[in-house]
Amino acid sequence: MASTENNALLSVRDLVVEFETDQGVLRAVDGVSFDIHPGETLGLVGESGCGKTVTGLSMLGLVPSPPGRIASGSIMFDGSDLVSMDETGLREIRGSQISMIFQEPMTALNPVFRIGSQMRDVLQRHQKLTRRQAHSTAIEMLAKVGIPEPAGRVDDYPHQLSGGMRQRVMIAMALSCGPKLLVADEPTTALDVTTQAQVLEQVVRLQKEFGMAMILITHDLGVVAETCQQAVVMYCGRIVERSSIEALFASPRHPYTAGLLASIPRVTDERQEVLPVIPGMVPDLLHLPQGCAFAERCSRVRDRCRQKSPRLELLQSTQTSVACYEPNA
Amino acid sequence: MEVFQYVLRKLLAGIPLVLGVTLISFVLIVYFGPDKTYELLGKNPTADEIAEIRSQLGYDQPFVTRYMDYLREIVTLDFGSSESTDEKVSSILARTVPTSIALAIPGFVLGNLLGVVLALVAAYYRGFWVDKFIMGFAAVGMSISFLIAIIGFQILFSSSDGLDLLPVRGWDMSTPLQYIRYVTVPTLATVFVALGYNTRFYRAVIVEEMTRDHVRTARAFGVPPVQLFYRNILKNSMIPIVTRIMFSIPVIVISGSLLLESYFGIPGVGKVTYDAIVTGDQPILKAVVVLTAVLFVIAQLLADICYRVVDPRVSLK
Repeated sequence: MASTENNALLSVRDLVVEFETDQGVLRAVDGVSFDIHPGETLGLVGESGCGKTVTGLSMLGLVPSPPGRIASGSIMFDGSDLVSMDETGLREIRGSQISMIFQEPMTALNPVFRIGSQMRDVLQRHQKLTRRQAHSTAIEMLAKVGIPEPAGRVDDYPHQLSGGMRQRVMIAMALSCGPKLLVADEPTTALDVTTQAQVLEQVVRLQKEFGMAMILITHDLGVVAETCQQAVVMYCGRIVERSSIEALFASPRHPYTAGLLASIPRVTDERQEVLPVIPGMVPDLLHLPQGCAFAERCSRVRDRCRQKSPRLELLQSTQTSVACYEPNA
Repeated sequence: MEVFQYVLRKLLAGIPLVLGVTLISFVLIVYFGPDKTYELLGKNPTADEIAEIRSQLGYDQPFVTRYMDYLREIVTLDFGSSESTDEKVSSILARTVPTSIALAIPGFVLGNLLGVVLALVAAYYRGFWVDKFIMGFAAVGMSISFLIAIIGFQILFSSSDGLDLLPVRGWDMSTPLQYIRYVTVPTLATVFVALGYNTRFYRAVIVEEMTRDHVRTARAFGVPPVQLFYRNILKNSMIPIVTRIMFSIPVIVISGSLLLESYFGIPGVGKVTYDAIVTGDQPILKAVVVLTAVLFVIAQLLADICYRVVDPRVSLK
């Protein structure tokens, strides 16, 4: 991770997001820090419930509140702190400076309005375009994301499009105002495998074309390998490893990262009898152990792992930060 | 054209419903309803007199014949005359239905409109005191019986113990001012009770819609709250709201006005129906039964057309 903080587009420091529940306060994101530079792609990786989506939502001030709230930390974007920004300021940024696309293309668009109307709405609000200008920009954007006959499709309702097409519409809408940062929350997870590749390719191509930075939230390490320069691996709301893609795949330092990588089936290797899995279960976020959250599932666990959580530290002579007392060599 | 065909098809499909309703109601009227015979006879009637009156009333005919007569009456829209007053049923209805509609509309419109507005406010501030206050008020409206609400408002507005401002009984629509004078208290009672149920229902619908993905998407694109509520939440909540509104129409026009009309002495169709049930005035009952069934079919039809208007996913095919 580059340490030149000054020219970072987005710089998250010690972000803590908590949810008020009946059983107590749940810390979904705990002390997360990372930087993204213009044009860079950062992969946010982890299992369901590890806090990656909540981290993504925080970038737009969209953590559902109540019960959620950003308890501490800062998110510096273009010189201003998004955490302390008021709702009006955030609305100016949402969809224009920072855009987000979501996992569920089937439900993420408003079912009772034409896609053209929803796209025009964004353009008219942020770019102050006239209706006519917004309409032609919407058609242009639909063409850019590879929707055939965009001039006709623009008048369709979301239910008239397939899942892949709807996700393309979402992408078109997200990019229509030329944002500096795109937060993509599992953009291809809900799609067919064949469509997944196409959509992902489209996103990466457009990202280059628009020169924007991207946070790609996913549990799919394959997707990360293909698209990202940097990766952040999260476990139970904390970052366990942060490194460049090459380093992450060549020599994962944290035992959890190593376990994730080992559990991907590989065609090139000999067929294994049993696919390696990480033993045990993800602990309940309400009852996290005192020490390292991964301790119970870790093969390299030591006594002090159970006493105090390791901090995320830059490893000597590498670009990798890892939160582990006994990182892999 | 699509809508026209649909309306035609729906109306045809409504015929069996109307037939079913009339058949069941007619069985109930004939075998379990009050008998007019002895009311029309003097004391100590002879068997011949009884037989004569029964044949005048048509009671001596077999059930099938009587039902066929009923069906013929439905088709020709001629239900004969009231057995109590000899007034034509059609003229009774022409006199009373407009009164009932004029009585029901303000309460119906306000009850639903205010219900939606309060539900939106409660849903927006859900968990805060505004929400708790509105829902508490709704619980009160729901818990108090309609009858108590009627009497309470009568005492409050129309008695010497209260404000003594408005008339407690009667009806006059000759001038708008008179209309307002007579319609206010019944409307207040209706709205008070209807708000309880409506607000709770609408709030539940709206809160559910607020948690949908497309609402989050809209927020992620900087949609301001007012537009969010209108375009995303309200527009998508319209199907359950329309359903509730449409299906309450027949209930309000016929049975809902029954209590109001008897307690405020308003000569509407509810009052007439009530009297007809008590005295066994079959021609009126038969007409009201058909009217209710037809109203129900029409309300259903309107609801379907409204669905099409509010939700493009609904097809009228």
